[in-house]
Amino acid sequence: MTRKSSRIFEINKCHSWVLLILVFSIVPLHAATPRVARDLQVWYIFDAEKGDTIQDRSGVGKPLDLKIEKPSAVQWKKDLLVVRSSTKIRSSTPATKLINAVKRSGSITVEAWVKPANVGQKGPARIVSISSNSSQRNVTLGQDGKKYEVRLRTTGTSTNGIPAIISPNNAAKTALTHIVYTRDVSGTARFFVNGKQQSSKKVTGKLSNWSKDFRLLLANEMTGDRPWLGEYHLVAVYSRALTVKEIAQNFRAGATSKLSKEESKESLAASRARHVFETQVAPLIAQNCLDCHDSASKKGRLDLSRKVTALAGGESGKVIVPGKASESLLWDQIESGDMPPKGALTNQQKKILKEWIDNGAVWSIDVIDPAVYEHDSRASDVWVQRLTISEYIETVRSSVGVDISKEARELLPPDLRADGFSNTAYNLNVDLKHVEIYARLAEIIVDRMDVLKFASRFSKSKKLSTDATMRQFVASMGKWLLRGPLDEREVTIYSGIATTVASTGGDYKEAVRYLIEAMLQSPRFIYRIENQRGDGTAWPVGDFELASRMSYIIWGGPPDQELNRAAEAGELHDEKALEKQLRRMLQDPRAVERSLLFISEWLNLDRMHNLSPDRKRFPKWDDALADDMREETRAFFKEVVWQQKRPLADLLNAQVTYATPRLAVHYGIKPKGSGLQRYDLSAVPARGGLLTQGSVLTVGGDDASMVTRGLFVLHGILRGAVKDPPPGLDTTPVPSKPGLSQRHIAEQRIANTACAGCHVKFEPLAFGLEKFDGLGAFHNKDEHGNQLRDDGEILFPGAAKAIPYKTSSELMNLLAGSSRVQKSITWKVTQFALGRPLVAADARVIDQIHEAARKNGGTYSDLVIAIVKSDLVHKTRTEAK
Amino acid sequence: MKIHKIPRRMMLKSLGTATVGLPLLEEMLVSRVSAAPAQAVPVRAFNVFFGLGIPAPLQTEGFDGVLEPLKPLGDKLLIMRNVDQVRCDEKGINAHYDGATGAFTAEPPDGEAKSGGPSIDQVVRKAHYPKGLPKGMVSTLVGGTFFRRSRVGRYVHSYNQDGTVAATMQEKPRALFDRVFGSISMSGDNTDVRRKRLKLSVLDSVVDDYKFYTGANSPLGSASKARVADHLDRIREFEQRAFALKQKDPNAPNLPPRSKILHGGPADPGGMGVDITLEELTTEWRLMADLYALAIQMDRVRFGSLTFLAAGERIRLKGDYKYNGKKLWQFDDAGQQKASGDRGCSHEWWHKFDEKKKNEALRAHAHMKMREVAYFLQRLNDSDSKEVNGKTILENSLITISTESGDGRHNNVKRELSGVFHAITGANGRFKTGQIMDVGAEGIDVYNTMLKGMEVKDQLGPAKRKTNAVDSIRA
Repeated sequence: MTRKSSRIFEINKCHSWVLLILVFSIVPLHAATPRVARDLQVWYIFDAEKGDTIQDRSGVGKPLDLKIEKPSAVQWKKDLLVVRSSTKIRSSTPATKLINAVKRSGSITVEAWVKPANVGQKGPARIVSISSNSSQRNVTLGQDGKKYEVRLRTTGTSTNGIPAIISPNNAAKTALTHIVYTRDVSGTARFFVNGKQQSSKKVTGKLSNWSKDFRLLLANEMTGDRPWLGEYHLVAVYSRALTVKEIAQNFRAGATSKLSKEESKESLAASRARHVFETQVAPLIAQNCLDCHDSASKKGRLDLSRKVTALAGGESGKVIVPGKASESLLWDQIESGDMPPKGALTNQQKKILKEWIDNGAVWSIDVIDPAVYEHDSRASDVWVQRLTISEYIETVRSSVGVDISKEARELLPPDLRADGFSNTAYNLNVDLKHVEIYARLAEIIVDRMDVLKFASRFSKSKKLSTDATMRQFVASMGKWLLRGPLDEREVTIYSGIATTVASTGGDYKEAVRYLIEAMLQSPRFIYRIENQRGDGTAWPVGDFELASRMSYIIWGGPPDQELNRAAEAGELHDEKALEKQLRRMLQDPRAVERSLLFISEWLNLDRMHNLSPDRKRFPKWDDALADDMREETRAFFKEVVWQQKRPLADLLNAQVTYATPRLAVHYGIKPKGSGLQRYDLSAVPARGGLLTQGSVLTVGGDDASMVTRGLFVLHGILRGAVKDPPPGLDTTPVPSKPGLSQRHIAEQRIANTACAGCHVKFEPLAFGLEKFDGLGAFHNKDEHGNQLRDDGEILFPGAAKAIPYKTSSELMNLLAGSSRVQKSITWKVTQFALGRPLVAADARVIDQIHEAARKNGGTYSDLVIAIVKSDLVHKTRTEAK
Repeated sequence: MKIHKIPRRMMLKSLGTATVGLPLLEEMLVSRVSAAPAQAVPVRAFNVFFGLGIPAPLQTEGFDGVLEPLKPLGDKLLIMRNVDQVRCDEKGINAHYDGATGAFTAEPPDGEAKSGGPSIDQVVRKAHYPKGLPKGMVSTLVGGTFFRRSRVGRYVHSYNQDGTVAATMQEKPRALFDRVFGSISMSGDNTDVRRKRLKLSVLDSVVDDYKFYTGANSPLGSASKARVADHLDRIREFEQRAFALKQKDPNAPNLPPRSKILHGGPADPGGMGVDITLEELTTEWRLMADLYALAIQMDRVRFGSLTFLAAGERIRLKGDYKYNGKKLWQFDDAGQQKASGDRGCSHEWWHKFDEKKKNEALRAHAHMKMREVAYFLQRLNDSDSKEVNGKTILENSLITISTESGDGRHNNVKRELSGVFHAITGANGRFKTGQIMDVGAEGIDVYNTMLKGMEVKDQLGPAKRKTNAVDSIRA
């Protein structure tokens, strides 16, 4: 007999054999079945055996412990609590974390393993409740004689949660019973007893009217007049409707607390160890050890970048002995200060490493990728996002139908690039000029609007009033302009403008005019305001917040009416409905425009406007070519991503491009037609893919520097990292001369042991581009008559061995086929979508995003869908109040 | 050299030259008395940054070498040698940039456009003006001339507590003038009282809404809240300028001449550098220095930074360099280096520094930069800068002058970030002056000692770090 079955035997041996048989017949005994953990908010397992406190074991946020008001009314038994007479078991504070999470998700699961003392208790007698008295509640699971009953407050039910969902008669028995209530975001409520659905019902409305002040109660109402008597074995609440499968899983896992608790402890410890490794140890190793001990350098034959090789050790044998820092060579070297050679670690860093080894040296990722730790955790601070200039323009256009692009681009201070993109939230600061121009633009926008026609969308009345009609109008128009419902405070603030207009003898049109002007300058228009307060953990975003995230990621503009409708209906937290919306949105031309902004930012195409090559050296250069090159890349991207719908990595080797006749001549291709024309490059072996386009080839400057180009590929395409030049090296670029091409110079650098360690990581990446000069023209010989080459080898970050290539096109194929490149593109698109640099804590989710997108085809649309579906978009990291 | 000095007296008693529609703020004209108690000297802190630096061996020559232009102000400065900024090194990033961001913050950068902590001026501002500066004042003025926009940390030298830039960089004289002295031009007829009232009502509503997001019930986290609070400050300033004005002053000063040098993207054509003459460069620098100094004299600004950045970036300078009427050097970076593009730029002289050689070109560049820094400082030391205590603004303020490296060869981080030139003013008797001192300390300890001297409790750097006070710099 398993531990679990023996325990159930114990539970029941004091009862009749009939009951024992019944329990065995309804509880399948899969001792190892784990409980569902995702979106768990509170979890009680009644194993204290004494005292008046029941601890919240969820491990989520701040524990919501419960206090037994009258300990004499209860009796502790092994892994259960018997409530013998009327008492109250309640949280000492409002159930904030639970209430917030459920309100945000619009869905809930209440689960309990209980054994009623009798089938006569009524009220319903409160088993689990979040309420304040007999008529005010958020949710209550109760027993009413032989039935169970659940009352849920929504905007469609009363504050008492009526109408309730009621189980069939005789569902309540004096036996250990598994009861589950779920209500999903679309309003479907289900009731399960012992893993089987008993009833289902539509409970319409939203949970936005849940009170934030109610406490969590067991065994009674807050007022003490709805006692429930019986045994508590387990109580859990989730901020999500568990699926039928998941309910069956929890049923199979059983009421036993001990087993679950041990599993939970283990999994908690494992998760903690994983967290320590990924957020503290791996960054330390990446920043201090991998310069010499990665797969490529491997000094002393020790590769610390990979789990397998690190644990295997180097030429001195094992360097990490899990559990024993004192026997680990790694610790010995670090403690003594011999490693890292550039300077000892701080005491705190040493402590982290020692504790990690002593705690078992848990190594939870296969490869430590230094690029993951490029930004420290501060870079992931939650910054409110101000609309960028392009987002502002699109938001104005979508919201009020006015094209303000010319004035906005001319007047607003430019958004500067930070960490590769100009939508990086922390850098979107605001100056007096912004405030001045927002005000001026608001005036211009309203001047161009048909104010009365616009207002008629929100109100039939055209009378300037200061009463409820005006408030309703403000609320309705504000909901559209400010991308979500207004609260009373906001309605009052903005209605005040109408009052002022009225008091100065103005009319309805004038009032609307000033109202719109104010809203166009308000924080909720200029910024993407979201709730960022909570308990320090990640919380699900609200419906309208999610809608805005989706629309700004995909369109760079606000939600449209359909998306707002879906948000209002709570559909966006439903996976199928969400996917439907995403597919719809990706069909919109704005999605194409947004993606073009991405490529423009990623490759910094705007720099082409400033290209100013040495005229003596390039007498044939025509400034118009710079624009042609920019347009080439945009048109190429559009074709590969949107017309051919190919995986994003194909951008590196697609055999097609677009060029003006002028650019075609510059490239040495026979020109055709006028304007931007499509060229099939199958027969042009030297060209094909982003890296062979002028917009990218010009990054190396007039000299087509191998170092600059190589570093661009390393950082921009491969997300690689490289350290500073070693001491004593003259970093002045060496010019080509007869008999000495840039390739020779690069090879000399690589042959120099002082340079090789780093230069081998990036210069060969540019070897394949040597035949392109600093402006992207193709030559077989340089200006000194040196023969140019395009063969070389590429060392992917993290790889041990370089892969040779014979031609430029082979290099492009290697890049396009590389999982490293594919993942790098995922990182870039994700960073642009989120508007912030990515940090180590994001790495796991990005892996999931990448995998999901790859499985679906790896196209831009697949990737965007995976990003939006991920926790990086569905959740927001909160700050504790 | 066409230098357009704008004395404060001219601002106050303009001779009635053509006005340009940029009215003086009413409170500007009386601000010296309205913004501060009559007998009080306000607390001020500014960071002055110049590019690339002075190699440590050259600093040992004192006023006989490249520091010569600072000599006339020597009794009002404490020049500090042997200040170590090695802790600001961030792996994988050029140490120039680390040093530049570390100047005045003593922290390595945190991302491309963020510093690892606040700058001295902002910490002092926060401590001495916890409720904000007097009404209508520009809370922080960040100005400067620079080339190559690649990294913000190179040219902005005032940072908020969270490491974000404290104010938008004003990179053209006209923009800086507008930021400090400009009013907001409202469309329509400003004399229409009814319209003005309605506009104010709109602004009031907007202000109320912003206030909520900075208050106790704001749904925003601390970083976001600080951003919105910043926005609210700007709205209030906007409100002041747009609505609190009386008539335009008929004697308003001329708008500064339009900048003749390249700015923004065109100043950085793919990192290849730009050609510029000494006259173009110094005309621009002096105009910026004049305007910035004027802003301080008019008590429109008490905190911020001014950046003189050129040689450290991508310029090919040409022109005769004279000092005190004597020709010291002929700038011709590209010609003397026999190179074009980025290889012909002046920063190469720093890469080529060799203490066994003459380093003539480098010396000339460094000397010229010191001359320009001294020009700015002198503007705060002239008769227009006398304050109620009989001292000048230069003597009364905390002005920290620094740069990005102690050696231009970025191949040895330790050498590069050691011996970084620093000089400070006396801050109204708080710090020693009239000395060239070998402090032999970390920049963070120097800065924290300065903060202590300024009666500021907050410190820079990690909270747990033990401060090694550099008491020798305190008066």
